[in-house]
Amino acid sequence: MTAAFELRGLTAAVPGEKGAVRLVEDVSLSVRAGETLAVVGESGSGKTVTFTSALGLLPKPGRVIAGQALLEGEDLLALPPEQLRRRRGARIGMVFQDPLTGLNPVFTVGEQIAEVLRAHLPISRREARDRAAALLGRVQIPDAARRVDDYPHQFSGGMRQRVLIAMAIALGPRVLIADEPTTALDVTVQAQVLDLLGDLRASEGMGMVLITHDLGVVARQADRVAVMYAGRVVETGTVEEVFRAPRHPYTISLFRSIPEIDAPAGTMLAPIAGSPPDPARRPPGCAFAPRCFAVSDAHGCRSVRPDLIGAGHFAACHRQGAIEVAA
Amino acid sequence: MSATAEQIDADAEAAARRRATFRRYTRHPGFMIGAIGIALLVLVALLAPWIAPHSPTRTDLMNNLAPPSATFWLGTDQFGRCVASRLIHGAQVSLQVGFFVVLISLSLGTVIGAVAGYAGGWVERALVAVIDILLAFPSFLLALALVAARGNTLDSIILAVAIAYTPRIAAVMRSVVLTIRPRPFIEASRAIGLTPWKIVLRHVIPNALPPVIVVATVSAATAILAEAGLSFLGLGVQPPTPTWGNVIAEGQTSITSNPLISLSAGLCIAYTVVVLNLLGDGLRDTLDPQMRRNTGKLL
Amino acid sequence: MLFHVARCVGQLAVALVGIVTVAFFLMRAIPGDPALYMLGDFATVEALATLRARLGLDLPVWQQYFVFLFRAVQGDLGTSVVTGQPALTEIWAAVPPSAALAVSGMLVAVVIGVPLGVVAAVRQGSAVDVAVMLVALGGISFPVFWVGLVAILTFSHALGLFPALGASSDAGFWTALHHMVLPAMVLGLSVSAYIARLTRSAMLEVLGVDHIRVARAMGVPERRIVWKLAFRNALIPVLAVIGVTFAWSLGNAILVEAVFSRPGLGSTILKAILARDYQLVQAGVLVLAAAVVLLNTALDLLYGAIDPRLRRS
Repeated sequence: MTAAFELRGLTAAVPGEKGAVRLVEDVSLSVRAGETLAVVGESGSGKTVTFTSALGLLPKPGRVIAGQALLEGEDLLALPPEQLRRRRGARIGMVFQDPLTGLNPVFTVGEQIAEVLRAHLPISRREARDRAAALLGRVQIPDAARRVDDYPHQFSGGMRQRVLIAMAIALGPRVLIADEPTTALDVTVQAQVLDLLGDLRASEGMGMVLITHDLGVVARQADRVAVMYAGRVVETGTVEEVFRAPRHPYTISLFRSIPEIDAPAGTMLAPIAGSPPDPARRPPGCAFAPRCFAVSDAHGCRSVRPDLIGAGHFAACHRQGAIEVAA
Repeated sequence: MSATAEQIDADAEAAARRRATFRRYTRHPGFMIGAIGIALLVLVALLAPWIAPHSPTRTDLMNNLAPPSATFWLGTDQFGRCVASRLIHGAQVSLQVGFFVVLISLSLGTVIGAVAGYAGGWVERALVAVIDILLAFPSFLLALALVAARGNTLDSIILAVAIAYTPRIAAVMRSVVLTIRPRPFIEASRAIGLTPWKIVLRHVIPNALPPVIVVATVSAATAILAEAGLSFLGLGVQPPTPTWGNVIAEGQTSITSNPLISLSAGLCIAYTVVVLNLLGDGLRDTLDPQMRRNTGKLL
Repeated sequence: MLFHVARCVGQLAVALVGIVTVAFFLMRAIPGDPALYMLGDFATVEALATLRARLGLDLPVWQQYFVFLFRAVQGDLGTSVVTGQPALTEIWAAVPPSAALAVSGMLVAVVIGVPLGVVAAVRQGSAVDVAVMLVALGGISFPVFWVGLVAILTFSHALGLFPALGASSDAGFWTALHHMVLPAMVLGLSVSAYIARLTRSAMLEVLGVDHIRVARAMGVPERRIVWKLAFRNALIPVLAVIGVTFAWSLGNAILVEAVFSRPGLGSTILKAILARDYQLVQAGVLVLAAAVVLLNTALDLLYGAIDPRLRRS
């Protein structure tokens, strides 16, 4: 079965003082219809850049310099701009992190959803508005028929995120990319929004990419997971594989840095020391080497860039297999 | 030992930062053109008595409205005065107006705006109301009325223009201060018990200066235009003192036969205003960390 | 919305009282005794005292202020010291040609400045952007009266297309319009430069915000994004610029009227200044400031129509 959405060797860069600075490098990922792929990593690891690049939305002067973004087998990055625009929103939707700034304050939510519908369908203003109201109902906004004429500031954060989801699914896309859809929301609202996304994925048979840094969300919502660090995928596999037996020291450190409800009292959390490298000054070998607990010069950690290796469950680490897993 | 190494690192980093800042300025074409352009003009104004080929006020009625020649580069006006010399000396008036107007309106405006922005409460409301009302008066008209009131010596023109343009600087300053007020270091200063005046002087004003410096540069340009306008209407520094506005006004009488007189004076004004605006735009681009932040926003 | 309207009207009332106050104290700063001026140097002391009493100049300043304010509210801005006519009547007579110039100048400025600013923002960094910004820089750098002279030299003297001087408002609409073209273009071009620059920066700011990114991700065509979604957001700063430049263009209008020898507030106020005609200058300044305040109130009302967030408290 072909993937609904697949990235192959995607590399995006911005011009820097000494040549191009690669924000993401050689990223390959795929998500099948009806499946949720979680993409995790610290902020700055390139999660968002990866997908904005894939949709041709990377702000200037950023640019994709290599790779493909295949939507049901068709390379989005090879399409002329107008063709790419017709795919965006129609066959691949995206939900962004901040619902408070994601809606245009001077248009009603109905007008904004209608704008998306009318960008892709030859329908009248009135029909677009009716459909917008129906969509608000689909994302479980109470009293949708009346609220379609309200302005964004009249909605709570969680409700605004629902409006944005309604926009993203308005044209029945095959793939939905949700970029930290709940980070900006209250904890109680987070679960509702995630459940809504899960339901929509199941009922529409969409492939979903869930960008997050919350491992709990990954465990609950995702089928497969990709861990990104410093612009690269460092580990990928099914959620079960990765959670049960993480192979990359970065993944292992991520698990150690989150508190567990059933951990014995007095268990120390281990935050990862240091910070991710500046994209302009990444170390020559493994980008994680300076912060890695298993770093070893003998294995070339500081000189040779590790490849993603494995079968089904991949990791990019020179020392995988040799590390004691204590997650 | 390690402390020294760290010290060296820190020094090297600071030096690198300074070099980067310097590069940011030198690589901005607008900023460089503006800075060099202003430097040239200041030089011309300072050296006017030596550069100018003739006295700017000596009349020679036998040789009036002469076309440009080797002795009179831009010809002579209706009183036979050397136009080029009058323009060179006119730079002094324009630059003095630009400089002192900015000095006065910047000092007044910065303090009023900073107090208005920082004080809050009724002080802020009262000051804002006054600033808003003053902004409703066309500044040029205000300057016109004030000059009429105080006579048209250079001092009173500078004062009139400065007062007329102060409300705008105060308004900018206040809006900048409003963005600074909630920042943590202000909170911290208050927590350690600094008096409001000390906080305003030591923390608020220095942090608000970059945008205000940009406004000041542009205000200098506006002030020079206002002075030229006053001169043109006959309310500026009185003839025979050479000012660019006077030259345009006097040239107007012979504009069809000798358009060069008025045209060249206008170009002098435009040159000054352009370089000041370029300098202001350049300062805004280079002082504004937004551009550096934008690259970080991508990640 | 009703609340918003009420607040705007309230602010208008406060602002009008404010400008009357400022105008009063500003004019008191002008030295010279209007009574002496009116009667001449050989006036008797008694005659001077009588006239001062009639003008209210013998009262303490604060009483003069309240009398002035009270009368101003009723539309009485004093009498011209020179002609003896009510000042407001004299000023009012000069308003139509000036208003026509100001409005057509503003129209030219908006029609030229706004689209240029939007295009420059959309094509930021391109040759178009650089060209527009250079022209705009020129527009704010050349003195408006000088541009007027150049326009007269080129279009009147050299090409003979438009009349150089006067307004000819009594020779019919088309003649008046013919006289209006050059002054309106000159005034409008200088203002359009500001409007283009500020429209550009307002649009640049809006084009970088999240909801525009969302619209792009949803496949909304770029043309719709720029001219509908982003433009309505940028409209408030753009209108605000029009409000700010209006005061500025009234100042420029005085110079334009002088260059083209047009009748209007400019020449009336200038004559009054030279004659030290207190009441007339005061009335002129007041009328111009009131025009600015009125325009800004109209804009405030418009903001409420544009941005729903402003309609509530």
